[in-house]
Amino acid sequence: MKDIKRLDFALLENILEGIEKPGRYINSEIGTKSKELDLRRDSYDLVFLALVFPDIYEVGMSNLGLQILYDIVNKNRDYTAERVFAPWIDFEKKLRENNLKVFSLENRIFLNCFDLIGFTVQHELLYSNILNMLDLGGINIRSENRKERFPLVCAGGPAAVNPQPLSEFMDFMVIGDGEEVIMSILEMVKAYRDKNKNKEWFLKEISRLDGIYVPGLYRFYYYPDGRIKSIEPVKKIKKSTIKDLNKFSIVQDPVIPNIKPVHDRFAVEIMRGCGRGCRFCQAGMIYRPVRNREVKSLIRQATAGIKNTGYDEISFLSLSSSDYRDIEYLLDRITFSSKSKKLSFSLPSIRFDSLSLRLVELIQSGRKTGLTFAPEAGSQRMRDIINKNIKESEMLDCIKIAFSKGWERIKLYFMIGLPFETDGDIVQIVTLIEKIIRTARNNFHRNKLSRLKINVSINAFCPKPFTPFQWVCQDDIGKLNDKFGYILKNIPRRYVDISWTDSRKSIIECALSRGNQRVGVVVEGAWRRGARFDNWTDCFKPGIWEDEFKKAGLDIDFFTTRGFSSSEILPWDVIDIGVSKKFLLKEYDRSKKCR
Amino acid sequence: MRALRRAEFKVEYSLGYNPKPKIIFSLPTPLGVESMAEYSDVLLDQRIGGQEFKKRVNLRLKPQIQVIKAKKIAAETVNLMNDIAVSLYSFRLESRSADKRLLERFYTDIKGDLKTESDFSRSIFDLEITQDKAGFHIFFLKLFGYAKIFIKENNEFFKFNNFYKYFMDWLKDYKIDVKGVKKEELFVLRKNILKTPMEVV
Repeated sequence: MKDIKRLDFALLENILEGIEKPGRYINSEIGTKSKELDLRRDSYDLVFLALVFPDIYEVGMSNLGLQILYDIVNKNRDYTAERVFAPWIDFEKKLRENNLKVFSLENRIFLNCFDLIGFTVQHELLYSNILNMLDLGGINIRSENRKERFPLVCAGGPAAVNPQPLSEFMDFMVIGDGEEVIMSILEMVKAYRDKNKNKEWFLKEISRLDGIYVPGLYRFYYYPDGRIKSIEPVKKIKKSTIKDLNKFSIVQDPVIPNIKPVHDRFAVEIMRGCGRGCRFCQAGMIYRPVRNREVKSLIRQATAGIKNTGYDEISFLSLSSSDYRDIEYLLDRITFSSKSKKLSFSLPSIRFDSLSLRLVELIQSGRKTGLTFAPEAGSQRMRDIINKNIKESEMLDCIKIAFSKGWERIKLYFMIGLPFETDGDIVQIVTLIEKIIRTARNNFHRNKLSRLKINVSINAFCPKPFTPFQWVCQDDIGKLNDKFGYILKNIPRRYVDISWTDSRKSIIECALSRGNQRVGVVVEGAWRRGARFDNWTDCFKPGIWEDEFKKAGLDIDFFTTRGFSSSEILPWDVIDIGVSKKFLLKEYDRSKKCR
Repeated sequence: MRALRRAEFKVEYSLGYNPKPKIIFSLPTPLGVESMAEYSDVLLDQRIGGQEFKKRVNLRLKPQIQVIKAKKIAAETVNLMNDIAVSLYSFRLESRSADKRLLERFYTDIKGDLKTESDFSRSIFDLEITQDKAGFHIFFLKLFGYAKIFIKENNEFFKFNNFYKYFMDWLKDYKIDVKGVKKEELFVLRKNILKTPMEVV
């Protein structure tokens, strides 16, 4: 990085006046680790990485992946990582009015002064924010127009596994686990800078690494109807995988936010990957193989983390936390070591069939947080189709245990629009919720019934890449609305709070997740017309997206309500995620047999 | 609370279904206002002197937030939030005008209109105004505002933001801008004398 330009603090103080939650834009949190600029004479030897989360501070600071990469990079003396979050609408306006670029928190460095900008993309509806941040950073949004050697721009994360919609904006994409590949990338950036090579050299070199997809090195050819005819070269990009999670300690001294984040607790990843094989679940496929953390080190590190941070809640994260083989021992030991500290536990992903009485007792030994379960479907038939192997009796037994042990609220997730779904399956969602309410009531202390709360969340199914259902079509908006409408009309209201997604939002999300390179034009068009924070209900403007698809000459239905044939080349076929198409097709065929 | 846990203090909790830590803070500081007077009472499950407490907590806090003083109090001490009677705010004001008559009118009206006749007059315990040594364009106003408005029928908290908005508008007539606001101190009333919470311990 040749020329480090920073935002003057006095100017920042000035423009923060009248801004909502100014704590989003100032640093000085406990746990920040990037290098001090003034103290090092050789700051210019450092490679500067901007870790960019394209949503607001409170959301970004709840993301464990960001904390992990931040911690790893800043431990190395040759590199420094600083965090950048999306400015909220009011602060973006102030930045633009004052002709100021978006900046990092730690040293207030303007985004375009970094050597490498890395976006972590958790959700497709953040694509517009990514373009907005590049623009706010004074950086040309299109890769082909960025003629300068720096900054380099990349993206990774679960919503980048189909890299095509963002391919025209990124110099390269990172697929898979980030812990090892991030260091290889930074070494390459250092060599690129120190040897004064050109960008073509860099992109060619970096493409040799596992997990790196360089869109500029691939060509897509299309049939007239829009399907992909061929991809050149045929070589697939193998995702980056850490074989042994224990090689990297958990982050024991994370950055502690200045203002309350969405998840305000000490997060510990206990396991990566899931062996259950639910057919709709993209995360279950892309994070394979299953890797457990060794429990004794986990206990030691988690205890140190609680001591370092002062948090009173610890969250054990994985795709299916109750499946962690040593979960009871882990909770037992952590409880023992923190007896006087009033620590509470959160297990965000619990399966009905792995919640034992003992586990419930361990979770409740601290302050009770809510319990969350995902039945996904109301009927056994649908659960068999999606391979969510849970019987109704297991669910109700679980509910019985939870409420008889003093829990007062649970959250349930359901999906509608699943493959081979019938009206009868929708009716069964309501029936199941009624049974759960009855079971809860029967096991709830009579005097406290008014405190019983069941939060039900209903989402539209989207056939995601790299799942056995990647070939099926999404329900059209009429069907989705009918199904939502039936549930909302018939679900009991007493004790139940219900939330659901806007069907139009689900359609756009699906189109983006299954989109090809051409969808990039739609993303750009939507952003230019003001699309921002599309994952926020009050900011999402579906009309803009629908218009931009039309303007680009693309039919949204091509990506959503059209089923893909098993022989069709899919936009994400350029990636080898570690699960073969043959396996996915076999699973899809199995699901048909459960109909 | 997290700093106390990081410093390995054991805070007492209330009993019941939803135990809460026994820690109280003084009145919240408005957004954007620097504060030199934040007070907190905390009940610990251990004996410790004020100096030791201060040293251990400050090691676990950032330099921008530090404990200035810590003293032991009796467990029966009155709730801090309810006890605060008066807040002292200082305003750094800058005049955009060199018109001496305007400034004289400002001096007169601030003690007249603002203190005794304005909508906020009943919130104002007292105010002082001094001129900066550097020149006559900068003033420091000290506003002693009632933390609570004591009325026969009703008790309401002084809403600083409402006062600030009113004050900014009021200053426009005199071509004066607010350049900085600070919460300087909090006071409790003991036998009609204002004392800081530390002085009464």
